[in-house]
Amino acid sequence: MSAILEMKNINKYFGDFHALKDINFSVEDGETAAIIGPSGSGKSTLLRCINCLTKITTGSITLNGKTFVDTPEGGAAKYIPDKELKSVISQTGMVFQHFNLFPHMTCLENVIYAPIKVKKVPKDKAVKRAEELLDLVGMLEHKDQYPEMISGGQKQRVAIARGLAMDPEIMLFDEPTSALDPEITGEVLNVMKSLSEQHVTMIVVTHEMGFAREVADKVAFMNQGELLETGTSEEIFTQPKSQRLQDFLSSMIR
Amino acid sequence: MSYVSEILPPLLQGAVVSVELFVITLVLSLPLGLPFAFGEMSRFRPIRWICKVFVFVFRGTPLMLQLFFFYFFFPLALNIDIPAFPAAVLTFVLNYAAYFAEIYRGGILSIDRGQYEAAHSLGLSKAQTTFGIIIPQAMRVVLPPVSNEAITLVKDTALASVISMSEMMRVSEGIVNRDYNLTAYVVAAAIYLFFTFILTLVLNHVEAHFSTYTRKEN
Repeated sequence: MSAILEMKNINKYFGDFHALKDINFSVEDGETAAIIGPSGSGKSTLLRCINCLTKITTGSITLNGKTFVDTPEGGAAKYIPDKELKSVISQTGMVFQHFNLFPHMTCLENVIYAPIKVKKVPKDKAVKRAEELLDLVGMLEHKDQYPEMISGGQKQRVAIARGLAMDPEIMLFDEPTSALDPEITGEVLNVMKSLSEQHVTMIVVTHEMGFAREVADKVAFMNQGELLETGTSEEIFTQPKSQRLQDFLSSMIR
Repeated sequence: MSYVSEILPPLLQGAVVSVELFVITLVLSLPLGLPFAFGEMSRFRPIRWICKVFVFVFRGTPLMLQLFFFYFFFPLALNIDIPAFPAAVLTFVLNYAAYFAEIYRGGILSIDRGQYEAAHSLGLSKAQTTFGIIIPQAMRVVLPPVSNEAITLVKDTALASVISMSEMMRVSEGIVNRDYNLTAYVVAAAIYLFFTFILTLVLNHVEAHFSTYTRKEN
């Protein structure tokens, strides 16, 4: 196993606000990592740095052997040129809290759009692959429906298929079930669980402690911009070291 | 009735000129609004300011004054001859492009940031995001105000009469003055209403087409 993602000494400032404090984090190929922590602790910010939705202030990030941002001694983070950066970004797939499906496209069109436009996959091949993926997430029968017509859980499953369609090296999930009714979070979590079992590399920012505990190989706990603890789910959930993590876990379980 | 049938042919001739002005203005100003809309949101300050000033000037002065400017002042200053029709087209196109730019800008700004983020995370280029994701969604938002402007334009074409363009308004004015009879105005009003009626039907159809993203029919 080798690290597919390596983030070193990541700092992020929003103005004066120090959102990420010297974070070191890595994910192995095929691993499922969960990032947990209270709201505003920087979990999503850290995730968004991986596909450059947020640009880091200092530090370095290496994805699949390519260091796309690095920081010279005493300087600011320097990214590789935009064109190369695009190809790095397209090795990641992202699933958002609010789905962000394209409302003017059917489910199928949502999934095939990027492969056809970005990867120049022929349309018939893209459709075939998209149908496989929609089947995988249990949405094949809804492929011709528009996002407006389907439920939140269904939207999120289509969004997962859309992310997977680019054959990413790593899937990023930004609180994928936070906008869903508790009743239907299960259908999305089940899809994610089956991806994890198929060793799709994934990082999941989540408040679903049950999911993190059961599915994640590695769990990272963030608090106020710091990565306080990293370990196996066993270590984090049964032997939390810091007082902060113990407090957090007891408040989450209630 | 025989009087109406007597004045109808010249009025219809004028109507043809009005429709020509309407169609050419719409066909040219609808696309022209887009670069100005993006220009106003450009990161480059000079481009942003040029576009903002353009919109400010053309929205901030009367259309009639702009017609005078392009018909009388412009040719004098440049020492060229611009006939009434091209002068009117130029004025209307620039004026309406300024309004459309603002409408488009509003439509583009109404699109949720998440759409850009999703496009970014899929590796789409700026152009692919703009033309494949943002504009198709903005279309739906801008259609009602654009329709409104189109209806306004039907009536605004009457303003071209001030630069002696023989569109329907000027023709009817001529007939009224000649015959001391207001019937020509009534007939002209009926013809304007007929145009806006047809246009409303067309626009409703277009809006209905874009208004909802539902299951594909057929």
